[in-house]
Amino acid sequence: MAATEIREVVLADATTSLAEYEASGGYAQLARARTLTPNEITDELLASELRGRGGAFFATGRKWSFVPTKDMIPKPHYLVINADESEPGSFKDNEIMSRVPHRFIEGCLITAHAVDSQHVYIYVRGEYTGPYEIVTAALDEIRDRPDIRGDVTIVVHRGAGAYICGEETALIESLEGKRGQPRSKPPFPAISGVYASPTVVNNVETMATVAPVLAMGAAEYAKLGVEHSRGTRVVSISGHVANGGNYEIEPGISLRDLIYAEHLGGGVPGGHTLKAVIPGGSSTVILKADEIDVGYDFDSLAALRTAMGSAGVICLDERVCMVQLGIRVSEFYEHESCGKCTPCREGTRWMTAILRKLEAGDATAGELDLLLDVCDRINGKCLCPLGETAAMAVASYVAKFRDEYVAHIAQGGCPFGDSSPLDHVLAPVAQGHLPGRLPEGKRLEVVHG
Amino acid sequence: MADQLVTVQIDERSIQVPKGTGMVETAAAAGIEIPVFCYEPRLGPPVGACRMCLVEVEGMPKLQAGCTLTAQDGMVVKTARTSEQAAEGQNSTLEFILINHPLDCPVCDKGGECPLQDLTFRYGPGNTRMSFPKRTMEKPIPISPLIALDRERCILCYRCTRFSESVAEDGQLVAINRGASSVIATFEDEPYKGHFSGNVTEICPVGALTSTQYRFEARPWEIQNVPTVCGHCPVGCNITATTREGKIKRVLSRNHPEVDEGWICDKGRYAFNHLVALDRITTPLRKAGPRRFEAVSWDEAIDEAERLLRGGGATTVTALSGGESVEEAYALAKIMRQGLGAHNAVLPETPSELGGSPLSAIRDAKTVVVLSDVPVVERAPIVDLWIKAARRAGATVSYEVPTGPIGALVTDETSKAAGIDAEHVYVLPFTPNGRGVADAWSAAGDEDPVDAMQRVLIISGDEAATDPGVRALAVEAETVIGIGMFEESFRGIADLVLPGTSYLERDGTTVNLEGRLQRQRRAVLAPVPDVLAWLSKLGERFDVQLSPHASVLFDEVSERCFGGVTYAELGEHAPLPLRSAETPAYPAVRADMPRNQGSALRLVAYKPLFSGAAVERTPELEFQQPGAVVELAPEDARARGIRNGATVTVSSNGTSVELQARVARDLSAGAVRIPRDHAGDLHPTVEVSP
Repeated sequence: MAATEIREVVLADATTSLAEYEASGGYAQLARARTLTPNEITDELLASELRGRGGAFFATGRKWSFVPTKDMIPKPHYLVINADESEPGSFKDNEIMSRVPHRFIEGCLITAHAVDSQHVYIYVRGEYTGPYEIVTAALDEIRDRPDIRGDVTIVVHRGAGAYICGEETALIESLEGKRGQPRSKPPFPAISGVYASPTVVNNVETMATVAPVLAMGAAEYAKLGVEHSRGTRVVSISGHVANGGNYEIEPGISLRDLIYAEHLGGGVPGGHTLKAVIPGGSSTVILKADEIDVGYDFDSLAALRTAMGSAGVICLDERVCMVQLGIRVSEFYEHESCGKCTPCREGTRWMTAILRKLEAGDATAGELDLLLDVCDRINGKCLCPLGETAAMAVASYVAKFRDEYVAHIAQGGCPFGDSSPLDHVLAPVAQGHLPGRLPEGKRLEVVHG
Repeated sequence: MADQLVTVQIDERSIQVPKGTGMVETAAAAGIEIPVFCYEPRLGPPVGACRMCLVEVEGMPKLQAGCTLTAQDGMVVKTARTSEQAAEGQNSTLEFILINHPLDCPVCDKGGECPLQDLTFRYGPGNTRMSFPKRTMEKPIPISPLIALDRERCILCYRCTRFSESVAEDGQLVAINRGASSVIATFEDEPYKGHFSGNVTEICPVGALTSTQYRFEARPWEIQNVPTVCGHCPVGCNITATTREGKIKRVLSRNHPEVDEGWICDKGRYAFNHLVALDRITTPLRKAGPRRFEAVSWDEAIDEAERLLRGGGATTVTALSGGESVEEAYALAKIMRQGLGAHNAVLPETPSELGGSPLSAIRDAKTVVVLSDVPVVERAPIVDLWIKAARRAGATVSYEVPTGPIGALVTDETSKAAGIDAEHVYVLPFTPNGRGVADAWSAAGDEDPVDAMQRVLIISGDEAATDPGVRALAVEAETVIGIGMFEESFRGIADLVLPGTSYLERDGTTVNLEGRLQRQRRAVLAPVPDVLAWLSKLGERFDVQLSPHASVLFDEVSERCFGGVTYAELGEHAPLPLRSAETPAYPAVRADMPRNQGSALRLVAYKPLFSGAAVERTPELEFQQPGAVVELAPEDARARGIRNGATVTVSSNGTSVELQARVARDLSAGAVRIPRDHAGDLHPTVEVSP
């Protein structure tokens, strides 16, 4: 069992100031990386066993190695940073961009060198006005520093409030000015991404980890965590927990410790008891309170058919109605479905309708089975994971809390009534809400290379 | 590499296909259907949106979309025929599509010829488990005077928006909103105005986009579909004319992969109502006053025609439209040349001897050169789509002669192709069948015209009758005999008018800009006797043997001009080349365009696609007519400080018009382009000022 301490690698020595960052050794790894060949850096990342922190957990070095050389495909290479963090329950990238913007940028520049790219796009979630200001301010600071910037142009692009644009191909479509809808893969972005050119899409946290990996050395970094889940992760703990927030820990820590340790989640407040935990953001399979004695790492969670995902741990106490949770989550995915593929577009809407009927007490036992069948019919048939994860998540609520669903039917209504405190856990779908607007002319910031 | 064959097993059948072949095509080659909605290879790469084509692939845990899957060696694929999982997947997709589909099939124009109905019949659930109110929306929404949109029926396959974005490249049809609220819309709710808009009604797999002309007009089991060829422009798109109770109800495309790839323009699709125009000539007419005709019997008309023609004798001049069938032109030519010895013809144009390549070769060219004063889309619309397809495939499209090899040259004048070495050359004629008409005229005789005062003029077709040059001849002639469809075309100029027919009302052949000889079939009976029938009668008066049957006349022309090919050899998708190597000598025609003079700009007052007798009689096409726009080359615009969209004054010799400027990349410097109807009385050379 791994240590329960906070282990700050990404979030260490937080500063937004270039001078302070450089004083503590910032951008030194970039300078060193530029003396190495792209292959040497990629090999170092492979050795570190760093896996992508966006949620899919794909080995970062491997992803980079897929980019063909410019001899093979004579087109520019693009590096795209996915900062469209939109998964309910995840807010780590927000904090990383806000607290260590230069470490993040340094990682971007090292990666650009590793994948032979002179063009970096940072696609920031539209609502993230704070991190956007901080990252653009940090980019302003290196504007007059050709030694840092090199020949790389970094463009910050603000999203317009679509969850689906966190999916890498939909993000690319959106970046190209098109409707944010996923592309069919293959071709994968490494071959044909932005403007049909080789493209690497990496998550913010992954980028912020690159410089520390080089600083520590791959071997040291790979000593952290547990097998298949090396290094550290910034975990967002939220919901019915005393100390909600981001904590950088080593994977392998027990989920119970994450929630209950004094220096971490601090337990369930107000004398309430834990009912369930969504371990990796709203799209992951739920765990019951008696399932939390599990390592918070890829393999251990996979054994329970769930995942670390984007590391958003959502705690739910005994007051939460699982049908209401289902509605909240299903509504979210219905609202965010891009509308491209049939099962997701039509299925999530149908799921919500059945769940609402259950909650109102008007449903029959047959309709509970219908709900599961609809989930089953979405699952495995969609173009991208959005619909599939919605179906899996909701189906897991029914599977693990079936009695509660049946009780809604038997009692002809919700046993919890209006007392189920969900609004502090997962915000309801906003109607007609637009992302925060910045003054004119600030929507696109370019650092000229 | 591209030809490397791989073996794929589909439903226990083995099939060899080139590596990378799409799975839908691979299965089809094995005689197995993979059902699709969104998949349509003509719209570009597959998108995998509808999820109808799910198949099971050995070694892959999840069902795969057949449309995006490509054949790899040793792949084992199971469709719904042999895989329960695939069948369940397709049943799921249909259930999801149908939960919000209104199922108003009894009152849907698509009913009976609807892919959604057909695939539900074969793969879908027979009942519904949806107990909630369906999604309802305002409907139908007229996205243009031609197209109605029913958003409830829409299954969001995105075929129409992909057509707009990636085929017509007009970008006007888009999807707005998200998820289950996604709907098809035009940008800013402006009408969908474009040369090719009607194609979206045909690729729509449900009744979401329907033609307003066809709305509630027919059920598919009470219609007849007649395969024929469009007669509106020199492309000769292959079409299907749908008729019900002897009337044309709609025109659909009929994919000829070398000619049109299954796309047709809105003129070809929607202008058929000119057949029932109010001023359609239904009996022979004799002049009864300066602007007045009176009806005469056929016997009287034939007598009168004979009398007038004998008066003209060998000096009679024949003005042809280029819209006649080869057989009509030949029958008329035979009477004139062999009966009267009248060898003087005014042909609509000198057919180019260049060509002979299929239009589809444009798409495969690496370099396409367009040298045309007239916008290609206005004269031969589908050629514009082939050029766009070439550009999307990576070709360089240039509007001047580049250095290096040229794959395809598209030009509006034969002379511009002189000295240019291009693999494929396409000259865009003015008229739909100018080439066939010239062939027909040559086939009927080869003597030279007598040099004498021209007293009698015979005008064949409304296009000739409305041509300013022909009308000038008519003023000089003592007697004018007209053959045409509309009274308005001949009023005031003709002494005798014999009723003409449309390309949809006759059998015959036509020669397109490639030189491809194609068959037109009679889709509906004309309200008047067939032109060949009364020409045959008239021929008898001059001892000219003329069959009233197109096939017999065709054989006569074919013997002389087309190497003796038969109707049967033309078939429903006529091949290339079928013309004899020996090209007849064409007589000279009307004067050329004026050339540049000094620093002034040369005016190209072009005839837009949406103009002419048929369009003028189709009110719903009015919105498609071009605006009051003058197009300038980028250099000329820059030199005059004119920006795109600015209002400018175009002037010449004391006359001027105000027009909106548009900077056109496809125009060469020194020329400006104005739709004919907006050019006013401008002279051939103009100046443009801000």
